[in-house]
Amino acid sequence: MARQYKERRRLPEPAVFGFLLPNFLGFFAFLLFPIVLSLAMSVTNWSLRPAVELEFLGARNFVDLLGVRASGGGVAAVGWAYIAAAVALFVALAGTMWSNVAGWRGSRIGGVLLSALGAAVLVARIAAGGGQGLVISGLVLLVGGIAAMRREGASWDFGPGVFPPVLLVVAAAGLRALDGPMWASHELRDPRFWQFLYNTLYLMMGIPFSIAGSLLLATLLNHRLPLGPWRKRLVHTGMCLVCGAVTMLLVGSLGWPNVALLAGVLWLMAAMGLAFNIVSFRTLFYLPTFTSGVALMVLWKALYNPETGPVNVGLGAMLQGFGVGAEAAKEMLPQWLASVTWAKPALIFMGVWIGIGGTNMLLYLAGLSNIPPQLLDAAQVDGAGWWAKFRHVIWPQLAPTTFFISVMSIIGGLQGGFEQARVMTQGGPAGSTTTLSYYIYNKFFEDLDLGYAAAISWILFAFIFIATAINWRFGRELEVVE
Amino acid sequence: MTAAPAGPPPAAPRPAGAGPARAGAIVRFCALCLMGFVISIPFLWMVSASFKPRAEVEEVRIVPRKPTLRNYPVVLDMQPDPGTGRFLELRFGRWYFNSIFLAIGITVLQVLTSAMAAYAFSRMHWRGRDKVFLAYLATMMVPGVVTMIPNYQIMVSLRFLNTYHGLVLPAAFSAFGTFLLRQFMLSIPPSLDEAAKIDGASHWQVFWHVVMPLARPGLIALGIFTFLGAYRSFFWPLIMLNNDQLYPMQVGMLALDSTYGRQVELIMAATVMNIVPLIIVFVTFQKFLVKGIQLGSVKG
Repeated sequence: MARQYKERRRLPEPAVFGFLLPNFLGFFAFLLFPIVLSLAMSVTNWSLRPAVELEFLGARNFVDLLGVRASGGGVAAVGWAYIAAAVALFVALAGTMWSNVAGWRGSRIGGVLLSALGAAVLVARIAAGGGQGLVISGLVLLVGGIAAMRREGASWDFGPGVFPPVLLVVAAAGLRALDGPMWASHELRDPRFWQFLYNTLYLMMGIPFSIAGSLLLATLLNHRLPLGPWRKRLVHTGMCLVCGAVTMLLVGSLGWPNVALLAGVLWLMAAMGLAFNIVSFRTLFYLPTFTSGVALMVLWKALYNPETGPVNVGLGAMLQGFGVGAEAAKEMLPQWLASVTWAKPALIFMGVWIGIGGTNMLLYLAGLSNIPPQLLDAAQVDGAGWWAKFRHVIWPQLAPTTFFISVMSIIGGLQGGFEQARVMTQGGPAGSTTTLSYYIYNKFFEDLDLGYAAAISWILFAFIFIATAINWRFGRELEVVE
Repeated sequence: MTAAPAGPPPAAPRPAGAGPARAGAIVRFCALCLMGFVISIPFLWMVSASFKPRAEVEEVRIVPRKPTLRNYPVVLDMQPDPGTGRFLELRFGRWYFNSIFLAIGITVLQVLTSAMAAYAFSRMHWRGRDKVFLAYLATMMVPGVVTMIPNYQIMVSLRFLNTYHGLVLPAAFSAFGTFLLRQFMLSIPPSLDEAAKIDGASHWQVFWHVVMPLARPGLIALGIFTFLGAYRSFFWPLIMLNNDQLYPMQVGMLALDSTYGRQVELIMAATVMNIVPLIIVFVTFQKFLVKGIQLGSVKG
């Protein structure tokens, strides 16, 4: 009996299985098995239509998504060289980021090269014309190059840090040279995939604004306001409310009820701030995130309505106030969600409004409260102003938080855009707000083409995996605080 | 950190609330008030539009000339639509109930299964435990988009479409929740459950009476996070349901918007009824919620 017991101890006790069972049932049924099934689907033409016979396709779904096909008498080598240059471009981009974070020597010379390339791209755009994409990439290169040059302590010598930018320049030149012959002889197999990938990345341009706004709000909210004891606060709050009421009555009696209401709201905000200190503002800033969902999307859809929405009605009234005729004003107003140009900026603005005081701000607040107060005191003693304190103490101390938030936002942004596309725009106009996640939804829920949808989802996973890998590689380094 | 520098003495500390410090506080206060004002404008418009009669919706005015309460009973299906004279036949109350019922069900099940698995991964000792846990965690990296498609196929095969359990079961477990609670349980000193075990307590008793009460902050954080996620979930109910009796609020709002989207005042009344309860809940429990969100969102 005793020996038997000893032998059993090498295996987990039965109670372990008991505790794991409920979780593992769900884990196997709804996570592990689906992952395997999804892999299987992505190499077949799996469909919910009964008429479609299941067929093994190998990598054809992926080739259809990412590949090009020859149209007319093209040279195959051109296509391959083009792809090689594109891959080199990606490798060079990753290498540039890496060299910047890892502090490879020579990154300043690389920075010069990068910003020169960025300037060249911008000049090319001005001289020869070109799309929005060219402007954006030129600006990114320029800013990236300058940022790389600004690195403190990096040397000007040649070093491995020069290679990624050199590769970037060569790859960009190669792409530019091959651009004409490539697209004359080849066409994309699934041009929509690339369009929707572009849309997804475009919509992610709101992320830096959102993060910067969150940081600003968090720094404003970090310390309690010195409002004195509760008795004083109560009196101040009361005075604020009375002032608000008086303002409303006065302005209202002048015949401007709207101004009266807005002024009243402003006074109310001040009264709340006096009564509950920063908690009231934190609550207010978090509300858009907390209430986000279909209801908020519906609200913004109504706000952006080109005919009846307050955005355009207000803008129109303003234009007419400047002496523009009613018809001309109507012509000038953007159509927002109904316009190919303005739909994406409109969605970005909404996203910033929703996210600015959200979880990112709370994470920044947590990060700020973890900064040792001695550091700030020491900076104070050394005579640092608020900008110097922010630049040399707060910002470096918050680096891990910023990094974490950025990576999480990128991961979220890559998967995002479904709700707004489904509720606000149906992916239109002309597919200009369809993101990859909405494309997946369309492929599988409208076309019932599960195989193809699964293939897209695995490509999306590849992007997310890269973002996560960067997080693992560099997130730890930043946490080392001197 | 740094020793006091030997040199010119620092400026004498100012009493709080005097000079530049006070000016800074006033600037901060004004900036906060202004930001709060800007952020709340869409909400203001929403409330005002919901009190406007049909004819006034397109005007710039925020204060309606003839405020009306009629939009609310129309959306709640208690009065006919004044424009068409017909009832909208929405099931607003039912959608509310569905949302809350589903969110509670998912939260209870998920917290329970996660806590049990976390107990097995942190307080019980067995060979290969940490390796199994790492392999388990690795699956967290796969985003929801990937598993959504095969899960839909599974639900179709099981004939779970248009059922409550089809909505609850896939969300009843979570690798992230297990991870969060395991971290919490690891920080509870092991002497406590060893003492309980010497007193003859079974694993279940230790779990229920020792570990669970001590892990309460973690449980609450996970509960809040799960509840919010479940209340907000949109994609899964959208593809699983086509019976409006079972719609949660999110899908119901979409249905309402796609049918009556041109009647902005009705849509805004529905939005107000959707958002204002959330605002009240948040303001009441905000201390709890902020802690829970801060804890729960530190994934990865």
